[in-house]
Amino acid sequence: MGLLDRLSGLLGLRKKEVHVLCLGLDNSGKTTIINKLKPSNAQSQDIVPTIGFSIEKFKSSSLSFTVFDMSGQGRYRNLWEHYYKEGQAIIFVIDSSDKLRMVVAKEELDTLLNHPDIKHRRIPILFFANKMDLRDAVTSVKVSQLLCLENIKDKPWHICASDAIKGEGLQEGVDWLQDQIQGAKT
Amino acid sequence: MAAKSSSDFDSGRAESNEANSKWLDAHYDPMANIHTFSSCLALADLHGDGEYKLVVGDLGPGGQNPYLKVLKGATVLTESPLPSLPAAAATFLMEQHEPRTPALALASGPCVYVYKNLRPYFKFNLPQLPPNPLEQDLWDQAKEDRIDPLTLKEMLESIREKAEIPLSVQSLRFLQLELSEMESFVNQNKSKTIKRQTVITTMTTLKKNLADEDAISCLVLGTENKGLLIIDPEAFTILAEMDIPSVPVFLEASGQFDVEFQLAAACRNGTIYILKRDSKHPKYSIELSAQPVGLVQVHKILVIGSTQDSLHGFTHKGKKLWTVQMPAAILTMNLLEHRSRSLQAVMVGLANTEVRIYRDKVLLNVIRTPDTVTSLCFGRYGREDNTLIMTTRGGGLIIKILKRTAVFVEGTGEVGSPPAQAMKLNVPRKTRLYVDQTLREREAGTGMHQIFQTDLYLLHLRAARAYVQALESSLSPMSVTAREPLKLHAVVQGLGPTFKLTLHLQNTSTARPVLGLLVCFLYDEALYALPRAFFKVPLLVPGLNYPLETFVQSLSSKGTSDIIRVLVLREGQGVPQLSAHISMPVSEGLMAA
Ligand SMILES: Nc1nc2c(ncn2[C@@H]2O[C@H](COP(=O)(O)OP(=O)(O)OP(=O)(O)O)[C@@H](O)[C@H]2O)c(=O)[nH]1
Ligand SMILES: [Mg+2]
Repeated sequence: MGLLDRLSGLLGLRKKEVHVLCLGLDNSGKTTIINKLKPSNAQSQDIVPTIGFSIEKFKSSSLSFTVFDMSGQGRYRNLWEHYYKEGQAIIFVIDSSDKLRMVVAKEELDTLLNHPDIKHRRIPILFFANKMDLRDAVTSVKVSQLLCLENIKDKPWHICASDAIKGEGLQEGVDWLQDQIQGAKT
Repeated sequence: MAAKSSSDFDSGRAESNEANSKWLDAHYDPMANIHTFSSCLALADLHGDGEYKLVVGDLGPGGQNPYLKVLKGATVLTESPLPSLPAAAATFLMEQHEPRTPALALASGPCVYVYKNLRPYFKFNLPQLPPNPLEQDLWDQAKEDRIDPLTLKEMLESIREKAEIPLSVQSLRFLQLELSEMESFVNQNKSKTIKRQTVITTMTTLKKNLADEDAISCLVLGTENKGLLIIDPEAFTILAEMDIPSVPVFLEASGQFDVEFQLAAACRNGTIYILKRDSKHPKYSIELSAQPVGLVQVHKILVIGSTQDSLHGFTHKGKKLWTVQMPAAILTMNLLEHRSRSLQAVMVGLANTEVRIYRDKVLLNVIRTPDTVTSLCFGRYGREDNTLIMTTRGGGLIIKILKRTAVFVEGTGEVGSPPAQAMKLNVPRKTRLYVDQTLREREAGTGMHQIFQTDLYLLHLRAARAYVQALESSLSPMSVTAREPLKLHAVVQGLGPTFKLTLHLQNTSTARPVLGLLVCFLYDEALYALPRAFFKVPLLVPGLNYPLETFVQSLSSKGTSDIIRVLVLREGQGVPQLSAHISMPVSEGLMAA
């Protein structure tokens, strides 16, 4: 970082950039969440299943996020690990109404947490228990129980119930993430 | 015994233990109240929303309360009662145009109920069969009250026992009635025309004219009337009808109806019949020594489970490829198709609460379940590609998901051929000479064979001639003349220059003694000296062995050796009875000196 950059960063003229990985099973609502976090004029209307991954940007009050929106389909999940090194934070999205695949989400999460590029880092993880609006959705407490989140001891984590279509619960999550990232730097 | 212990060992390795299981336990509900067989399970994206549902033709507890159930995830989405027990469920695309949501077919009794978007769409009835004329006649008489119910019953019973054409449902029901109920039953039913209809025993699907994954498919039905029917998916007309010698219970179809197809029907008589397009009757048949309990087509192989607790692999031409013995009775079977790894395997539910997965005869995986599994199927369910669904005898539902990273490693559960068999041998390249020779053999095969045969005959002839000559000139140490059966056997002992020569002479006749024999030695007098070159043999008692000893002095100083001939003669006869050639050893004593 050049002196000018740092100066403008300190003065708050330019927001600090962070790389975030958005992970989770297919159809959990990752793209929908990120789309909702973008300014309303930049939001796209129809959301299709992501192929491979796509890079999206959005800003919070003090940070500029570059998000790797990974595809959650089984055949693309092996791409995730190639981006672990660059990621400074993780957003992990869960479809709270897909009880059957909760085990699959847990399996992928455990694989993620045990990956050498993640295992020994204090990387913050934000969980969205998404699709809260659906009738057969389970609560975020239940989701954190099913995923055994209490076992994550060496990383800051937080779970938010969300409804990505209405945009509920998203801001709370992003605020937490921003605090974590800034807290870690100072 | 050895085989058993090795298979135990292998199954131990293929078994999924908690820690490194290939499966994630997605759901287990021991009280799901689902009682069914593999043939009544089907998976499909029935609503076209990317969420695959499970269709269950549920027989109900004790086969009392049949229901059609559709499950989404772990919950029952819809259920509707069925008029009779389901025989099979299948999902298929019935038309080209969009949206291409698959229809659901449920075979039950003489009908196939077809649902689209889970709404009843069409009911296909099996065609009526001609009733037994005798039976028809009886009911006609009953109609005119010329016959009383009791006689009717007796007559119908005699038809049931003897006739080729089975009775109609109406008559069968009548035969079950108590005396008191008969009268009213006859009055109620006598004016109805009797109908005879068969029932569906099994059902599968067959692609119509394209091999694509999402091509439209015909329904293939097997009936209690020993028939196979192929039904058009749009018009629901019968496209083809075939007869087989027994009642089909399991069906597998491959190919496309309009191009070339093949049906394999496992029947109650323990035979699997294979039919092709354009054949009204079976083209091949496979006879099992027991009843079939399951039939699954894996790639080009028909895998058949039998009541003898074994799994057999057959080609489509009926050639047996392999057999594997199961540790317990087979209850159900189905195909496991893992598309992304292009693996096809057979899942077998066993009575010992195990589900085993075999690729050919290689055991890939063992899953232990809390209850015996009566039905299973594998495929895309919900949004997960590799889901295994099992229902248990107690009505439970087990859903497992294959881990994304799981691989069925060949050899971890090996019971098949030893690894050495798969090792590549370093076979030398074919030389020019070899190729020429092979070509010549191919062209002149007949000639070569004839020459070989001629030579062989000549050899036989020459051997026979030599034998005859030997017999005629008594050159052999065995005399076969019936009168004087004798055996001669000579032993040379010693290092030289003096050898001891022992002749063992034996009379091999049963009772008659032999008298008046002479022994004569013929030898080169320059080389050997014998004290007695000619002597008389004492009387030979039958069976006893007479050792006749004599010394042989080797005279040669150059270490040469020669043959000494022994002749056994009979007094007054010119031709010897027996003869023997004794190859004398080189005199070692002399050489040392
Ligand atoms: N009811 C409801 N539907 C949602 C919610 N979030 C997303 N969806 C729907 O879920 C579906 C999948 O959303 P996506 O954002 O494409 O999911 P994804 O995680 O990006 O999926 P992949 O790109 O395939 O990994 C879409 O039809 C969304 O409309 C939610 O909170 N509530
Ligand atoms: Mg996406």
